[in-house]
Order: sequence, then structure tokens, then C-alpha cells
Amino acid sequence: MTVILETKGLRKNFGGAQVINGIDFQINEGETRCVIGPNGAGKSTFFKLLIGEHKPSHGSIHFKGQDISHVLPFRRVGMGMSIKFQVPGIFPDLTVEEHLKLVLQRVTTLPERAAELERLLDLFRLSDEARVKAGNLSHGKKQWLEIAMAVGLKPKILLLDEPVAGLSDEETVHTGELINRLKAEGLTMMVVEHDMDFVRQVATRVTVLHGGQVFADGDLHAVLDRDDVAEIYLGKR
Amino acid sequence: MTLLATAYSYLYQFGDSFAYLTLSSLGLAIIFGMMGVINLAHGEFVMCGAYVTILSAKAGLPLPLAMLVGAVSAAIAGAILERLIVRHLYNRLFDSIVATWAVSLITQQAMLIFAGPSIEGLSTPFHSFEFGEYSFSTYRALLPFFSIAVLAALYGLFFKTNYGIYARATIQNARMARCLGLRTSRIYTMTFALGAGLAGLAGAIYAPTISAVPTMGSSFIVPAFVTVVTGGANVLQGIFPAAGFLGLIQSALSASYGQLAGQIGLLLTVIVIIRMLPQGLGSLFNRK
Amino acid sequence: MESSPSIMNGPADRLAIGRAAETGLLKKIFGTQLDGPVDLTLILIGACFFLPAILSEAGISNLAYCLVWTFAAIGLSAMWGYGGILSFGQTAFFGLAGYAYGIFTINLGESPAATWGGVLTGLVLCVVLAALLGYMIFYGGIKEVFIGIVTLSVTLVLETFMAQTAGPQWAIGSARLNGFNGMSAMPSLVLPSFAAEPILLEGTNFYFLVLAMLAGVYFITRKLLNSSFGLTLESIRENPHRAEMLGIDIRRYQLAIFVFGSTLGGLSGILYTVWGSYITPSSMGLTAAAMPIIWVATGGRKSLSGVIIATVAMLNLSQELAAYGSQYALVLMGLILLFVVMATPQGLIPTIKEKLGKLFGR
Repeated sequence: MTVILETKGLRKNFGGAQVINGIDFQINEGETRCVIGPNGAGKSTFFKLLIGEHKPSHGSIHFKGQDISHVLPFRRVGMGMSIKFQVPGIFPDLTVEEHLKLVLQRVTTLPERAAELERLLDLFRLSDEARVKAGNLSHGKKQWLEIAMAVGLKPKILLLDEPVAGLSDEETVHTGELINRLKAEGLTMMVVEHDMDFVRQVATRVTVLHGGQVFADGDLHAVLDRDDVAEIYLGKR
Repeated sequence: MTLLATAYSYLYQFGDSFAYLTLSSLGLAIIFGMMGVINLAHGEFVMCGAYVTILSAKAGLPLPLAMLVGAVSAAIAGAILERLIVRHLYNRLFDSIVATWAVSLITQQAMLIFAGPSIEGLSTPFHSFEFGEYSFSTYRALLPFFSIAVLAALYGLFFKTNYGIYARATIQNARMARCLGLRTSRIYTMTFALGAGLAGLAGAIYAPTISAVPTMGSSFIVPAFVTVVTGGANVLQGIFPAAGFLGLIQSALSASYGQLAGQIGLLLTVIVIIRMLPQGLGSLFNRK
Repeated sequence: MESSPSIMNGPADRLAIGRAAETGLLKKIFGTQLDGPVDLTLILIGACFFLPAILSEAGISNLAYCLVWTFAAIGLSAMWGYGGILSFGQTAFFGLAGYAYGIFTINLGESPAATWGGVLTGLVLCVVLAALLGYMIFYGGIKEVFIGIVTLSVTLVLETFMAQTAGPQWAIGSARLNGFNGMSAMPSLVLPSFAAEPILLEGTNFYFLVLAMLAGVYFITRKLLNSSFGLTLESIRENPHRAEMLGIDIRRYQLAIFVFGSTLGGLSGILYTVWGSYITPSSMGLTAAAMPIIWVATGGRKSLSGVIIATVAMLNLSQELAAYGSQYALVLMGLILLFVVMATPQGLIPTIKEKLGKLFGR
């Protein structure tokens, strides 16, 4: 099992606030790791550090053995990382099809493109909306479009920040199925989520962040059944 | 004695630049810095203030009163512009640039049609005083102090009065302000009118020193923009250092190479500043 | 990722149905041309070649003048409508290239090599300077409205500088810059011919030249913007942050379209200088800088054909009104711009075609 992404002593402070307080983190190829923790724990900031949106105040980040701590975000994506942020980031004036074409033109040759486009549209239930401008999509469809784009890049590791936020129960289950399918195909994924049912559906391992540090880390059930993990959510620690 | 006189003459020129940059940019700073609207019709509010001042003075009003009338009429014009046009464009930055540019074009050309290429101006009050072998205009020597006074008054307005608190709250978070019962649309109109009025004040102040032509706004807008952009997002903190810094550059260049060199220097400076300090000079004074 | 059986019931040829619905006539006229075998805009341009049979020489000359500006407008549409970059610098490149042509040809004569060398020099100068300026802007992290401010500042610096070059010491070779009076008397473009005299590209010949160039530029621009480059550019316009997170180096695309669009502005400048044998700093002033923006806003930022039509129509209108006094023309331009921004922000021409489309029940 090779480590595909790791951080060493990662710290980040904004002004006086120490948001990330020393994180040593590792994820192996093929894993689906859920990152959970109460609000303010630093989960989204952690993801932003991984993709390069923020620079670390201290420590380093390594992808496939290379130190990427100061590599620009678009280059990290070029190296095989892919991210879907919490807030839907779609292109309002472009159609769904154009979104996927945009991504596919970077990773497929022209002959394969049409087939791959259709496959993604089907997989993410967007075939009916292929010609619709993304700005007019429902929230759920926007989320799926975003995941479709992130997946369409054929990344080595996929970072998903709250992929089921705002989705209906049925949509959430479908998303979980998609993630499991991707897991079965060997894609490494890191998922930040609050929805515990979803976490149980997809996770291999779970990392709990609290106060900018790793609070607990291990097998799905081993972590989720712990009392002290429950307590940090309830604010007792 | 001549050394002192020469030194004062440099100081005088610096003060002149400083005053000009401060007064011409304050109105724009309020509107851009606080409301995020790029008002390319700024120069026309200056022109409005100048023309009304001149006409009022010629109609018999004492000069200070004429200037007040000039500033107020610009404020009223600003309120009208805000109600009719600007308020529809708050979320559309580029469209507000283009729309105010259109208004500027229309106003300038319409003034040329109705008022002709120029009108007879006023004479500068207070005459001049001598220092060493130079003579200076008393009026212009006093302007830097006046501009600081206006800055201080604005600071007081925004930090010590109710309007100031409402305005700052509305501008920072309009939705929340509305939930707290503030009439945000009124505050926007008042703030825009304040900005326009300050532009008119600049026009009124400089009316006795320059020739009044319908296109005079153009010569105010560039220094105004340069100062606002250099001052950065934090308007009230930024204008003072920006006007100081730019005034230094402009007066130094003008003294050695002439007016146009000063203008070019300003423009080149703003390009450099934007490139190096995206937040402008004001942020240097903020603890980030 | 292996292919998996489709969960959904939608037919795979849904895409084909969608495409068929798009070939309505009006969509063909103003929509994405060059998708099908027939491009109406090119046909329209082709038809214009026959206009000298109908219009007088003066009319053709006037039309040629209006056409000269279309390149700057197309360039701005590419930068602004597609790339989201509002550059106030079109007139700066316009003036620079025009002066470059003037200086080159006044010094080196009126042979085909000299005149076309002048054209090439002007264009190369634009490419180089736009690349430098663009590099400073896009690789320097200057964003959004500040791009406009910086480009406007550059334009004003140039205008201010050129305006004070009246003295005789301001000359390059034998070409005096002449300050506000402008530079004049530069030769027209010539084509080499087998006859004793080279073919002078003036009058109707010049008209054909500009029309041919327009067809070429339109074709190239259309192809560029319809390609994957164009799609990437649009994504950068819509959400630059997200585009970056898809692995796109947005700075590279912005620089590329900035150089492309600005050089087209320079092309307009060269042709303008050739047409009138004249170039002045006022073509770089604040008012002049507003004009391409007015045409592009009216024609529809993203509609190349709309932009061409708007430029020609509005310039023609200005010319007619200039007889009464240029102020009236400018007031009208200002009013049109204001109306467009307030009522039809997508552009006057796209809004009209949309209404027409609804009228004819697409």
C-alpha cells in the first residue's frame, strides 16, 4: 500500500488565529477517507491547503512522494489532484455539456470524447439537462455536475468537500453509490462530510479533526463508536 | 533667505498637489471605496460645482456662499443620478462603469451644446504674498490646510455620527443592516450624494483658479482615480498617505519637467502600485 | 474508470435531438456560426464585395472607414465578451500601430515592401507590447476592475506623452511626431504588379482590401472562439477560481486573448492611418477609448456579427450627425450606451434578434 498524499507538521494561521495546528496525515492509494469533525475544526481549511488555495504557515505537503507545499493549485491539479469545494463552483453561462467538454478536452482525445461525455452525463443523471445553462440547475444537479467535472479529470486523488450538502435523501444515497463505484475502481478519495449515514455508506477509514489537529484516526467503526468522538461534537471537550 | 524661499516654494508646490489630489479624490473615494461603484461621471460633478459657483457668484452671492451652493447642487445632481441609474447597477460593476461613462459623455457634450465652449471665470481671492524672490497665491497656499480640514470633518462624520455608523453598517452588510431596520436605499442615496457633493466642492474651490470649460471634469478624474486606487480599499485611511505620496511625485516631476510629466508620473505610479500592492497604500496602515 | 451500464432511461441520442433543434434560421444567422457548412456572416461580407456597383465612390470610401474600426471591436469582443477582460487599451494599440506605420513608411518610402513592412512592424509592435503589458497584468495578479484601470492609465499616458511631442526634436528618422497636430502624409498601401506601376490600394481597392481582411479576421476569430481554447476562455470568464481548480493555467489564456484582441486594435489603427493618411493623439483619448466599448456593448459582447454590424451602423450614424456638430453625435452615442446598459445589457442587437425569434416562434 503506497502513501499517495501526506502532510507533515502542517500549520496554518490567519492573523492571530491558529486554524491548523500541526497535522500529520497520510492516505493510501485506493482508500476512501472521510474527514469529520465539529464546525470550526479546520476541515475546509485543510482541504484548501491540500489543493494550494492557502499556503502553509509551517510544515509540508507531499503528493506521490513530491513536495508540493509551494506548487500553484492549477499545477497540483495537473499532477493528479482534483477537488470539489463546498460552495458550488459552476460556470453559470455555460451549458452542462460545455462543462464536461471543458474537462474532457484536457484528458481525452477527440475520438473518445463524445462517448466519454455521454457516459458522464448518464452516470451523474444529467442527460436531460445537457443543454441547460448551469446557472439554471437545481442545487442537487449543480453538486452532481461539480462532482462529474472533478471525476471527469481522471484524477489520482479526489477531494470532496461536503458532496451531499443540500441534497435530498434519495440523491444522497445515489451519490453514495457513485462514490462506492469509484472506490471499486480504485480511485483514492477524501471526503469531508457531516452526514453520518453517508459517512457510514462510503468510508474505509475516518479521520476526526478537532481544533486544527487530528483527534482520532482509524477504521470506520472503531472511530465512530468512540465516546470521546461523540463528546467533541456535543462540545464537552 | 533664498534657500528658505526655494525650500518653501517646493513645499508650496507639494501642498498644491496634495490639496488638489485630496479634494478631487474625496468624492470618488466615498463612492468607490465605500460603495464599490466606479463613478466615471465624477468629473462632471466637479464641473457642476464649478459652474454653479461661478454663476452664483456672478449673480451676486458672496463667494463662500456661492461655493456652498455649488457643492450642494452637485450633491442634488448626485442623488438624482443615484436614484435614476446607479441603484440598478449595484451588483454589476462593469455595467456601472459603462453607464456612468455614458452619463459623463452625455453631460459634457450637452454642456458644450448649451453653455458653449467656456464661460467667464472668477478671480482668485486673497491675492498673493511674497517670500524671497517668489510670490505665491495666498488662496492656493491655504488649500492644503483646507483639504486636511475636510478630511478630518469626513472622518468625524463617518465615525462619530449616527449617519456614519448607519452608512458603514449598510455598506459592510446591507442585508443585516436592513434586518436591523435601516433604510438602506436611503443611505445609499445619501452616501452617493455626499460623494457627488464633495466632487462639487472640489469644483467650487478650484473655480476661481482655473478656466471653466465643459470638459474640465476630465482633468480632475485622472488624479482622482489615481489617488483613490493608490489609497486602497480603506478609503479614509488611504487618501491621506496616497495624496501625500503622489503629491510628492507629481510636484517633483512637474517642477523639473513640466505639467505633462507630472501627469504621466501619476499614471505610471498607479500602474506600479496596482502591480505591487493590490490592496493599495491604506492597507499598509492596517494590521492584517 | 470502467464503463458501466446506464442506470438512467434517457436515450443516448438525446444529444442529436438537441442539435437538430438548433438549426432554426435565426439561430443560424446570429448564433454559433461555423458550426454548420454555411456561415451567414461570411456570406454577408461576401455580398458586400458587390456594393461598389451600387454605391458611389464617396459612399464606398465612407463604408471602408467604418469597416476599418471593426477589427478593434472584434478584438474587444474576444477579450471582453469571451474572456471577461475589459481592456480600455484598444485605442492605445490603435494609436501605437498607426504611428508605427507612419514612422516606418515616411522613412522608408512607398514601395510595396516599405508599406507592407510598415503594416507588419505595427502589428509586431502590438504583439510585443501587449505581451509585455499582459504579462505584467495577468502574471502579476492584477484582476478584474484593476485591469481596466491599468489599461486606461496606459492609454492616457500614451495620449499625454504624444500630445507634447510638438517640437522638432520629437522625430524618428524623418518622421516628426508633431504632438497634437498629428502625423500625416504617409503613403498608401501598394501591391506589387507586373506592370510598371505598383497597384495603389486606394478608394475602391482599399475597400476590397479591408473587406477581405475582415472576412479573414472574422473566420480566424470565430474558429478560435469555437474551439477548445474558446471554451476554456469562457470558463475563465465565468468563474476563474473554479477554472484554476480544473487545472487550467488561467494566466496563459488571458495573456493570449489579450495579445490577440489588442493586436486587432492595432490593425484598426494601421488601416485608419492608411485610409486618412493621418494619425493624432486624440485617437487615444478618453472619448476615443469609449467608442469601441459602446459598439461592443450595443452589438452584444459575445456576438461577433452583432459587433461588426453595430460598429458600422453607429459609426455611420456619428458621421451623419457630425455634420451638425460632433457634440450631437456624441450625446446620441452616450444615450444609446446608457440605454443599452440599463435596458438590454446583453446588447441591443442580441436583444432584438431574441425578440424577433420569439415573434417568429422558434
